[in-house]
Amino acid sequence: MSGDTDHGAAAIAAARVERRWAGLSIGIICVLVVLAAYTGIHQAVMPQAQVETADPRTLHISGEFIESNLGSAVEPDGSVTVRAIGQQYSFTPQCILIPTDTPVRFRATSADVIHGFLIEHTNVNTMLVPGYISAATTRFSTPADLVMPCHEFCGAGHEGMWGRIKVIEKSAFQKLAADRRRMTCVAQ
Amino acid sequence: MLHSRRLILAHFWLAFAGFGIALVLGEWQMFIRSPLHAWIGNPEWYYRSVTAHGTAMAYVFPTLVSMGFGYAITEAALKRPLIGARWAWTGFALVAVGTVTAVVPVSLGLASVLYTFYPPMIGSPFYYIGVVLVVVGSWIWVALMSVNLYTWKRANRGTPVPLAMFANVAGSYLWAWTAVGAAIELLFQIIPAALGLTTTIDAGLARVFFSWTLHAIVYFWLMPTYIAYYTIIPRAIGGRLFSDPMARISFALFLVVAMPIGVHHLFADPEVGAGFKFMHSVFTALVALPTLLTVFTICASVEIAGRLRGGKGLLGWVATLPWRNPMMLAIAFSFVMLGFGGAGGIINMSYQLDASIHNTQWITGHFHLIFGGAIVIMYFAIAYDLWPHLTGRALDSFRLMRLQLWSWFIGMIVLTFPWHYVGVLGMPRRMAFYDYADPAIAPQALSVIASVIGGAILVVSGALFVAVLVRGHRAVRVEPGAYRFSVAVHQPQRVPAALNGFGLWVSLMLALTVINYGFPIVHLLSLPNTSVPVVRIGAAK
Amino acid sequence: MTEEPIFSLRNRWFTTAVAVTAGIAVVSATVGFLWLPTLQADARLAGMWDAICSAAGIVRAAPNESLVVQGTYQTSGVIAFPETMENASAISIGRGATLALPCTVCHGARGLSEADSPNLAGQYPLAIFKQLVDYKSGARVNAIMSPRVAGMSDQDMRDLAAYYAYLPRLPGQHPATAGATPRIVESGAPMRNIAPCATCHGSVDYKAGSAWLEGQSPVYLAAQLRAFATGARHNDINQQMRNIARGMSSAEIDQAAQYYAGQP
Repeated sequence: MSGDTDHGAAAIAAARVERRWAGLSIGIICVLVVLAAYTGIHQAVMPQAQVETADPRTLHISGEFIESNLGSAVEPDGSVTVRAIGQQYSFTPQCILIPTDTPVRFRATSADVIHGFLIEHTNVNTMLVPGYISAATTRFSTPADLVMPCHEFCGAGHEGMWGRIKVIEKSAFQKLAADRRRMTCVAQ
Repeated sequence: MLHSRRLILAHFWLAFAGFGIALVLGEWQMFIRSPLHAWIGNPEWYYRSVTAHGTAMAYVFPTLVSMGFGYAITEAALKRPLIGARWAWTGFALVAVGTVTAVVPVSLGLASVLYTFYPPMIGSPFYYIGVVLVVVGSWIWVALMSVNLYTWKRANRGTPVPLAMFANVAGSYLWAWTAVGAAIELLFQIIPAALGLTTTIDAGLARVFFSWTLHAIVYFWLMPTYIAYYTIIPRAIGGRLFSDPMARISFALFLVVAMPIGVHHLFADPEVGAGFKFMHSVFTALVALPTLLTVFTICASVEIAGRLRGGKGLLGWVATLPWRNPMMLAIAFSFVMLGFGGAGGIINMSYQLDASIHNTQWITGHFHLIFGGAIVIMYFAIAYDLWPHLTGRALDSFRLMRLQLWSWFIGMIVLTFPWHYVGVLGMPRRMAFYDYADPAIAPQALSVIASVIGGAILVVSGALFVAVLVRGHRAVRVEPGAYRFSVAVHQPQRVPAALNGFGLWVSLMLALTVINYGFPIVHLLSLPNTSVPVVRIGAAK
Repeated sequence: MTEEPIFSLRNRWFTTAVAVTAGIAVVSATVGFLWLPTLQADARLAGMWDAICSAAGIVRAAPNESLVVQGTYQTSGVIAFPETMENASAISIGRGATLALPCTVCHGARGLSEADSPNLAGQYPLAIFKQLVDYKSGARVNAIMSPRVAGMSDQDMRDLAAYYAYLPRLPGQHPATAGATPRIVESGAPMRNIAPCATCHGSVDYKAGSAWLEGQSPVYLAAQLRAFATGARHNDINQQMRNIARGMSSAEIDQAAQYYAGQP
C-alpha cells in the first residue's frame, strides 16, 4: 500500500492482510447500505417526498391549517389525511382520531418554533420546522391509545407538550365520518 | 522534551474544569427529571442547565483538549519548540473569554436555547458571541498547526511527516471546515437577530448550516482519541503499530467524508429533498470505513504487543496483554464502547431506520456512549500519558487510575444502555420532568432510574480523574525523558506525496461539500418566504 | 518521491481517490434522485424530471385535493408576533389616554379595575390590541365590549394598547394570599398537555399575545378558563388556550385563578 519496494516479505504479507480487511470493510458497508435501503423500501418507511412551505404567521387565517380544517379528513379514495399544527405548547388537535387498516397521511407544520412530532411505539417521527410542511404516512392495524410528545426543545414549557392518538376500528370511524367532515378525539 | 508545558497544562486544566462542572450538571439533570425527585418548580432551570452542559461538553471541553494535545504533538513529533507560542496563548485567552461570555447569560437564564441553538428561538447575543470567540480561538490553533507543519516540511524535504503530526493537522483542518457551517449560521442568521437587526430567520436553512457542523464535530472530538489509538497505545502497552500508511489513509478519509454527510441529522426534516438525504446516508455509511480500518490496525497492533509478551495461539495473546496497565484498560473500554456506539450509529445513519429512533432518548444514549464513552475515556488516557511530561513529576497512582477507568466504563454503560432502551420505546428528549404516574410512560421509570445511577458513577469517576491529576502535581520529581510515539512494524522511510500532505484530501472535502450541500443551501437561500418571526427567549417580564 | 505532483493524472492516488469519490456520488445520486422517488408512497410525480426536482427539494405547491372546511364560528385573524406592534410613540400614548376615558368605568381610572373586569395597567400591548381586534371581528363576544369596539379604527386600538401598556403595573385590588404555588400553576400537568402557566404568561417566558395575569380578578380568570374549556371563548389562535383549559379540573381552575389574583 505504501508503494515502497524495500520491505521484506513480512511487509508484503501484512499489506495483503490489510487489503483483505479493507475489502471486507467495504463489503460490510455495502451490505449495510443495501439492507437499510431494502427494509426501508419494503416497509415503506421513507423520508417525505416533497418540500412544501407554509407561513406560520397566517396559518390560522387561511389555507389548509385553519382551525376548522384541522383533524382527520376522509379522502375520496378512502384514505385519511390528518392535518395538525404544533405550537408552544400543544398540538392542535391535541387528540388525533385514526381508523385501523387505512392508509393515513399526516400533514403538519409549526406556528412558531421548531417542534418534534412523534407517535410512541410507531415509526411516525418527524420534525415540525416553521415555514415548511412535514408529511408522514403510516397505517395502524389495531385500536390503541398512544401518546404523541413533542421531542424537540421548544421553550420552557416543552415538557408539557404531549398530544394523544386514538386509533379506533375502521367501522366506528366511518360512522363518525358520516356526519362530520373533520374528526378529532378532543373532548368538548 | 515539551517546551510549552504551561501552555498545554493551561489548556488541559481549563478543559477539565469545564468538564467537571458540566458533568455534575448532567447528573443533576438526570436526577431531577427521574422518578427519584419531585418535579422542579421552574422548568427553565433544567433547560438552562442543559444549555450549559451542552455548551461546555460540546464546544469548550473537546476543543481545548484537541488544542492542548495538538501543541504537545507538535513539539514532541517535530522535535522543536512550537512556532507562535504567543499566538497560542492568544487563542487560549479567546477560548477562555468566549466561554465566560457564553456562560454568564446562560446561567442568568437569558439564553436557554440549548447548545444546538434552535432558531427561531433567540437568546442573549452574548451567548452566541461567546461561542464564536471559542471557535475563533480554536481557528488560531488550526493556523498554528498548519504553520508548524509546513515550516517543518520545508526544513525536512523528503522525510515523511511523523504520523502523529499528520493526524493532528488532519484533525485541525477538519475542524476548520466543520466549524464554518455553524459560524455562518451564527454570524449571518442568529447574531443579527439576537442584536435586533433582523426580526425574521429561515429556521430550515439554519438547520442545514448547523447540520454541516453537527456531525463532523463528532469526528473532531474523535481525532485526539484516534491519534492516541495509533500513536500512543501501541507504545504504551509495549507493542508496535501494525501499519503506518493505513493510519494515514484513515485520517485522510476522515477529512474527506466526515463533513459532507450532516444531512443525516435532517432525515426527518421537511426542508431538504429526499435525494440529498439518500446521498448523505450513503456517505455516512462510508465514514464507517476509516473506523473499521482503525479497528483492524489497532487490534493487530495490540496483538503484536500480546505476542511480544509471550502470547501464543489464536487468542492466547489476549491473556498476556498488560491488563494492569491503565492504557490497556482504556483502549479496551474505548473499543467496547465504540463497538456498541457504532452499531447504534448504523441505525441512525440509515435513511429509513432512523425514523424509529430519531430524536428520542436513543440519540442521547448514542452520543453519550460514543463521545462520553469511547472518546472521553481516551482523553483521560492522553492526560495520564502526558502528565509526567508536563509536570516533571511521576504519575503513579495506578490503582486509582484503574479504578477511575473501570468506573467510567461501568458508569457509561449503566447510563447509556437504558437510555437507548427508553428511546426505542419513544421517550422524547430534553424535558424538565416526566409524569411517570401516567400508564403511557410508566414502563420507562425503571430504566431512567438506572441511568441516574450510571450518571452518579460517572461523577465519582470524574472526581477520581481530577484527584489523580492533582496528585500528579504533588508527586516526586522525575525526568520523564523525551515524549515518544508508537513505532510502526515497518517504519516508513518514504511515503507517497498524497499521504504526506493534505492537498488532495482537502480538495476532495471541499468538492464533496459543494456536491452535497451546494444545492440545498442555494435553493433555501433563494426561497422568498420561508423566513419566520424570531421568538425571543428570556424576554422582559 | 514526496516531490511528485499530486494533482496529476499520472498520480495513482489522485486518480483513484477522485474516481472513487465521484463514482459513489454518481451512484448514490442516481439511486436517490431517480429510483427511490418512484417508490415513495406519498409522491405525486409526473415523469423523470419531476422526480429529480422533487428529490432535490424544489418547493411544491400544496395539493388542492380536499376542500378546506370553513368554520362555523369566527376565529381570531390577528397575526400575533412581536413585530405586530411597533414601539409606541408619545403621541400614540396620548391619543390612547383620550380614547380610554369611556373605559375607566369598568377598567379603573389608572387601568386598575375595582369591578371584576381585567386590569389593563402595564398589560402587554399586543395582548390588549389582539382582544380589541377580536371583539371587533366577532372572534370574541361580550355584551359590553363588542358594541364599544365596533367603531374603532386599527390605529385607535393600537393607541389604546400603547396607553394601557404605558401605565405602571400595580398590585391589584385583591388581598395577597399566602401559601404555596398550586401544582397546576407551577408544573402544569404534562400528560394532560398543560404546560406551566408562567412559560407563556411572562414570569418565566413570554409567548407573543399572552396576557399578564398577576393581580387579575379571580372571578374573571376563572370565568375565562371555563369559557375556554367549553369552547364558548374561542379567539385563542390555533386553540392554544383551549387546549390547556380543557384538561384542567374545576378545582384546578379555581386554584389557578386564586393564585394569580393574589400575586403582586
